[in-house]
Amino acid sequence: MGRSPRWLRTLVILYVGLLVGVPLVFVFQRAFAHGAGALWTALQDPSMGNAIGLTIRVVLVALPVNTIVGVGAALWIVRHPSWLTRIIDRVIDVPLAISPIIIGLMLELAYAQNGWLGRPLAALGLQIIFSYPGIVLACIFVSLPLVTRQLIPLLREIGSNQEQTAASLGAGPVRIFLTITMRSILWATAYGVSLTLARILGEYGAVLIVSGNITDLTQTLTLNIGANFENYNAYQGFVGAGVLALTSVIILLLLGVARHRERKRHEHLA
Amino acid sequence: MSISLEHLYKSYGREPVLEDFSDVVPDGSLTALLGPSGSGKSTLLKMIAGLESVDQGRVILHGRDVTALPARHRNIGFCFQDYAPFYQLSVFENVAYGLKTRKMPAAHITKEVTELLELVHLGAFASRYPRQLSGGQRQRMALARALAIKPDVLLLDEPFAALDAQVGAELRAWVRSLQHELGITTLLVTHNQAEAMEVADRVVIMNHGRIEQVGVPSEVYDHPANDFVRSFLGPTTTFAGVSVRPHNLEVTRSGEGVSAVVRDVIRLGFEVRVVAAPADGEAVWLQLTHDEAQQLNLQVGENVTIRRRN
Amino acid sequence: MTFYSLVVLIPLAALFSNAFTHGWGFFWKAATAKEALSAYRLTITCSLVAALVNAVAGLGTAWVLVRDSFKGKAILNALIDLPFALPTVVAGVTFYTLYGPKSPVHLTLTGTWTGITVAIVFVTLPFTVRSVQPVIETMTFNAEAAAATLGASPWRVFRTITLPTLLPAIVTGAGLAFARAMGEYGSVVFISNNLPFRTEVASSYIYSLASAGDPIGAAATAVMMLVVALCVLVVVSVTSRRLVKGH
Repeated sequence: MGRSPRWLRTLVILYVGLLVGVPLVFVFQRAFAHGAGALWTALQDPSMGNAIGLTIRVVLVALPVNTIVGVGAALWIVRHPSWLTRIIDRVIDVPLAISPIIIGLMLELAYAQNGWLGRPLAALGLQIIFSYPGIVLACIFVSLPLVTRQLIPLLREIGSNQEQTAASLGAGPVRIFLTITMRSILWATAYGVSLTLARILGEYGAVLIVSGNITDLTQTLTLNIGANFENYNAYQGFVGAGVLALTSVIILLLLGVARHRERKRHEHLA
Repeated sequence: MSISLEHLYKSYGREPVLEDFSDVVPDGSLTALLGPSGSGKSTLLKMIAGLESVDQGRVILHGRDVTALPARHRNIGFCFQDYAPFYQLSVFENVAYGLKTRKMPAAHITKEVTELLELVHLGAFASRYPRQLSGGQRQRMALARALAIKPDVLLLDEPFAALDAQVGAELRAWVRSLQHELGITTLLVTHNQAEAMEVADRVVIMNHGRIEQVGVPSEVYDHPANDFVRSFLGPTTTFAGVSVRPHNLEVTRSGEGVSAVVRDVIRLGFEVRVVAAPADGEAVWLQLTHDEAQQLNLQVGENVTIRRRN
Repeated sequence: MTFYSLVVLIPLAALFSNAFTHGWGFFWKAATAKEALSAYRLTITCSLVAALVNAVAGLGTAWVLVRDSFKGKAILNALIDLPFALPTVVAGVTFYTLYGPKSPVHLTLTGTWTGITVAIVFVTLPFTVRSVQPVIETMTFNAEAAAATLGASPWRVFRTITLPTLLPAIVTGAGLAFARAMGEYGSVVFISNNLPFRTEVASSYIYSLASAGDPIGAAATAVMMLVVALCVLVVVSVTSRRLVKGH
């Protein structure tokens, strides 16, 4: 049979090309359908500008938070196992398996003005639902496991020998983490962070419910695209889609680099 | 079923793995392909099996040119270093695999497999699964599986390399007696010279894809064709500018020979190594038996005479 | 830990408590309303089909990615992750335009179960590929060679040796794909046209309840969906573990 039959290669290329490649090319084709000038004008649409701004502000909070929590949780689960960490390990994937609509609903029920947590927070003057913090919360929820999932098997595989050696040589925990641990987990973390970024940028269903979709105020770029489409503003929608498709391609490149570097690191040890 | 290999050549990219390899493996013999890692011996074995393609040359099994024939039609038995068990099948089903593929009747399969499992001392393990077996047991299962199809030729690729020394030694002896009993032409690949010497009727020594020497074990050991063979097959030391076996040198307190000073006496139990330095030249090490060493009772710093034994 | 409860556990509890605000009876009535049932039927069917299609396609794709080498393989490998990286709404509007009215390829899949399934197949492709790929990468294929020497044809070798080895990973991948597909919203809501009782997926139905001011009904349906998803994950996990028994 050889390594892999020719006909299979052709089939796979056709399948992936048609399923994935064609839509990707199509997005860009539509965005440029009226030429670069119209594209530039469309990008300056104030609602889109606000949407992009909001999305960026969400990323600026949600991404670092999830990275830090993700790395910390992975370290905690692997290096300090207990009955508690075993439970967390099992349920860590939960946010990935739940529909974003349900996630939005859950958050709304808990944090709405009359919700369990919403009420005490409202007393403090904090509004979660239908405003910025809610969107950030939703994005954190849906992308929570992504970094941790990458790191747990890796940390298990690496073992703590290097860290223990460093400790015996007199290094403190922070130094150990910065000089030893981080180096081994760098590219796997980068991979997880790229996935997290993609998820935050692309979240739709959960943010739809939690934000209230108020144009110019609580409308992320994804919601903006959806709204334009529903209002028969297809071109404007595709311009926004083009922007996000571009960021997706960049993220794909980041994923590729991270995957490649991680493999190099792995081979280097063998 | 003799194996005739004619001018076999194979390369991966630019580096040849096997160059102009020709040999005839006599019917019924146990021939060892011995050589360091990378000498091409495993590749050669797989080419004979039909698991690797042949760039140039021919593989002939008992007069039949099988060079272009796929592995499944060659009726050969193959055993891997990692035993290659079918993990999801039971021991019985593993051994029965070849027979089931040939669509033999169930009763016949049961009889054959049961007999084979008894032969390899795995009768009690028929319904176990490979992951429940030890390394030695897995290899015996692999042997039974290969023998089940009544192969014309048996090919073993470093079959004992992954086993503990003790288990490996036992299995080696057992395989040797089994092969003599069944009379199947067998080709064994190994990098372990002691193993080859112990088990094989005939040794083919390989290096960098070429044959260095062919012969019976005692002959290649006592009359190595070149320095590579000599140093690969056993320990050597340089005496008077010539490469010799340490046990071919004798040491006395007086008499003819080269004078030297004893530097070290290392007792390994059954064997004693004496390191002595002649006035001009590098230090030499000699191999004495336990009794010889005890009789001589050499001390470090003594003056002695070294010469070759007759 | 506190973080986790704030973000995940408390909202989860809120969902459950809200679903049962009016007791079991109301919960059951809402969770099994006619519209809900047809939404479940649609979602489960399309998700199942998509998972099965991608189980096969994922195996083939992973095989080529590991075992084959050709120019542009790296691009193919990167493309697999696109459904992970691309926002669902982008996929959604693209599929609607590509396969809907005024479609440049003259396909009208809007408002059809097929259209929904195609969108779900797109979204779940990476799950099945990436779950099988690492397993193929670590295979030595010595067992396959041994089977060949024992007389097995390539198809028989694949069927009796390779496939059983890969089956646990295939099942896991298909399970993850199915779970994801069940909850999918952004990529299917456009092409489905959202016709109640006909092409309304479960998440869409829940959304319509929530925005119509029936949060309890929405919560009830959501809880039902979660229970179903949990059952699926448990079944997949158990099956996968039982399949590994040989290893």
